[in-house]
Amino acid sequence: MRYAKRIIAFLVFVCGLILLLLAASFLFMPKNNMKEFGMEEVSANGILGEKENTVDVLVVGDSESYSAVTPMQIWKEQGYTAYVCGSSGQTLDYSMTMIRRAFEKQKPKLVFLETDAIYRKVSKSGALLTKLGNYLSVFRYHNRWKSLSWNDLKGHAEFTWTDDYKGYEYNNAVAPCKNQDYMIPSGTAARIPELNRLYVQEIRNYCEENGAKLVFLSTPSPVNWNYERHNGIAALAGELSCDYIDLNLQNEQLQIDWSKDTRDKGDHLNHNGAVKATHYLADYLNQTNLLTDHRGDPEYEKWNEALKRYEAAVSSAGNGQ
Amino acid sequence: MDKRLIEILEEIQPEADYETCKTLVDDHYLDSLSIIALVAELEEEYDIMIPTVEIIPENFNSAENLWMMITRLKEED
Amino acid sequence: MPSISSYFSLAYLGLLLPLTIVVYAAAPQKIRRWALLIFSWLFFWSISGKLIVYLLFSILSVHHIGLWLSMLQEEGDRLLKAADRGERKALKAQCQRKQRMVMTFGACLHIGILLLLKYGPFFVLNINRVFRALGLHVNLTVPSFALPIGISFYTLQAVSYLFDVYRRKIPADKSMFRLALFMSFFPQIMEGPICRYEDTAGELWEAEPIRFQNLVFGAERILFGAMKELVLADRLNLLIQNVFTNYDTYDGFVIALSAVCYTLQLYMDFSGTMDIVIGSAQIFGVTLPENFRRPFFSRTISEFWKRWHITLGTWFKDYVFFPLSMSKPLKKLTSRARKRLGNHFGPLLSGSIALFAVWFCNGLWHGAGWHYIFFGMYHFCLILIGNMIEPLVLSVTGKLHISRSSLPYRCFQIVRTAVLVCIGELFFRATGLRAGFAMFRKIFTNFTLATFRDRTLFTFGMDQKDYLIVFIAVLLIFVVGLLQEKGIAIREKLAGKNLAVQFSAYYALVLFIVIFGAYGSGYVPVDPIYAGF
Repeated sequence: MRYAKRIIAFLVFVCGLILLLLAASFLFMPKNNMKEFGMEEVSANGILGEKENTVDVLVVGDSESYSAVTPMQIWKEQGYTAYVCGSSGQTLDYSMTMIRRAFEKQKPKLVFLETDAIYRKVSKSGALLTKLGNYLSVFRYHNRWKSLSWNDLKGHAEFTWTDDYKGYEYNNAVAPCKNQDYMIPSGTAARIPELNRLYVQEIRNYCEENGAKLVFLSTPSPVNWNYERHNGIAALAGELSCDYIDLNLQNEQLQIDWSKDTRDKGDHLNHNGAVKATHYLADYLNQTNLLTDHRGDPEYEKWNEALKRYEAAVSSAGNGQ
Repeated sequence: MDKRLIEILEEIQPEADYETCKTLVDDHYLDSLSIIALVAELEEEYDIMIPTVEIIPENFNSAENLWMMITRLKEED
Repeated sequence: MPSISSYFSLAYLGLLLPLTIVVYAAAPQKIRRWALLIFSWLFFWSISGKLIVYLLFSILSVHHIGLWLSMLQEEGDRLLKAADRGERKALKAQCQRKQRMVMTFGACLHIGILLLLKYGPFFVLNINRVFRALGLHVNLTVPSFALPIGISFYTLQAVSYLFDVYRRKIPADKSMFRLALFMSFFPQIMEGPICRYEDTAGELWEAEPIRFQNLVFGAERILFGAMKELVLADRLNLLIQNVFTNYDTYDGFVIALSAVCYTLQLYMDFSGTMDIVIGSAQIFGVTLPENFRRPFFSRTISEFWKRWHITLGTWFKDYVFFPLSMSKPLKKLTSRARKRLGNHFGPLLSGSIALFAVWFCNGLWHGAGWHYIFFGMYHFCLILIGNMIEPLVLSVTGKLHISRSSLPYRCFQIVRTAVLVCIGELFFRATGLRAGFAMFRKIFTNFTLATFRDRTLFTFGMDQKDYLIVFIAVLLIFVVGLLQEKGIAIREKLAGKNLAVQFSAYYALVLFIVIFGAYGSGYVPVDPIYAGF
């Protein structure tokens, strides 16, 4: 009898706790996807403000991804809509979260996973916190206590903002890199941590279930990439039967000039480099025959407007150099 | 109990009432330094050897316990 | 088993601890102790891997040497009984010598391993420095060792066990596994408290069933400890890291503030860990010794050290201070000095020699670095000066008619002690002795309120709202401390209330941690500070 009482009391306690956390999650959830509303990773989450079912291609990954892929150029060259949901230091648990979030309103046909994130170790506690945050957003947005307002008490979340750069981070600084021959063929493969491997598998299964093709993408970076890592990803791509593009091995076509095309000595590409890398990807997307050109479609008028603003901003920044 | 013991104690720490107090160490009447002084004095006075294993609060918490320790050590010798 | 970085990690609180509790609760009494031992070794292995051999070696050797000592003691006693009255004294001395040799061998073995692993590189580095200063071209290669986790803690437990067996305070343990559990019990292996065999070994081996009240009290204490760590220690981390690494860019005010913040962080991290450790042990029905008794209510530095890291202090008192000050030469010195210098200064002389040894070891125990030794010497000087001027202070306050037990005077003492402690911790945390002095100098030469006035103070790590939360949490802990000082048992009080009140208290604490905890993106949790020692 005493045991039964205690168990019931415990269950009541747990239920009450979950209810409280749900209430707090409602309160702490950003009510819009802008920085002023407390949204995290604003440019990546700009996809939440895109019109339903208009994004063809999704890019996830760490800073390599948003430094190398500029969706506006893909739009200009081929008329496909892409969005970069990459964030600084992104680990695969957050990549998974971003993909799920994006797929809520979008039906992308192709997902690029930038491979630097595959080698970024996912910490167990970090992954658990991300998981918790997926269900109870108070764990992700708890820091918003600093900026809570009465508006957070009422109303539904409505995401209205989107990014003219579509997640790309423009940067035209130049800091040359001396190490040009970093892709020295090797027979060994860099080991991918077990938990990371599980996450890649989860991402692949999720894409398959939602009718999207998953492609691994290694963007050019002498600091972060080498042949051992290439081998590791190539083997993983074979196992999961995914396509793999390693731009580090395609420099004859890309023509990345490491004395001009990097902003931080070979860690990330700058805008010059991104233009070259993106051009290659736009061609690749064209060859997949998965996507249609939307440039004439009035539904996509917003993208043409964004392109104008993007080009104006980029060219004025370029001239100001 | 030995009168001389009370005298020695009062000489070292005059503030405590040694007839009644049972928490000399616990209430910080006797700190480490007074214990060092006390041990040196007792060894001389009673011609005993107080080993470090005896330096525990129980033995020093009251004059009575101290006296018990002294008599015990004397017998053992 | 994932690797566990601290007792605050989800791996410990969310996985290892609950798993152990479930297995422990489900197992019959005979198995429970083994469950504790196996989980303890798993815990150790998950952090230090192969280095567990050091722990196993320590257990084996302590067990063996303990039995050896006890055999010698029995043999000695038998011989003594049989011997003539006249021979006894010589025989006794002979037996004593043998036992002392075995005990010294055991203690040296353990402390030797600790010295080699922890201080070897430091010694070699300094020997090289001496060579260079002498103009010799000898450069010894500096060794580097991987330290098994908790070695500074379990070594002290091992040595205290040997000492106590030698002194016949406890009988040598025949069961190696009971000793093993005493040495490696997982909640306390990483950061203490440093336990005594007679206090915990029996209780651990007894493996009482889990009681509801213990479970609740333990969980409450763990929650409170998590609050200290997540809300306070982790929140202060950014500011502290920032200021202590780039101290030359900040003015005296910021440095003074960061010294206070670091003292607070250290206290929160360590006492928070102790709450989790002692709370965990309580769930298994084991009472571990307390390591903190509200140290910032202390009125003097020596009182502070009776309330801060208590088990380390008593260890040094019992195994360094008293054995040294009771050694023959120092005893002689005491009686001679007492006759010349009187009751106050007489024992102070030999006392301070022993005290010097204690504080030198204490400083060094925290790590191989001159700033740690400086930290030890700093506190040695403070305690020594405190003792020396005590008669003077007594007469001055007497003449000025200041009551030493009045509230203002007590507050003055408490604040003064806290300030002295903060200065010590500044050197303790500084990246080196030189950095410590530079920072200390800045507090006096470069003290401006500019960063406060132009609000840049709120830009490197903590903004106004962070300070507010720190203030509220400190206030909460202060009130809890005040109640405990008055002898009120809060958890027992809460247990007497009805369920609604109890639940509300838990909910409030959980939500406080979830919302105001400094975790997630933008925060870097503190590495457990004492696990590094």
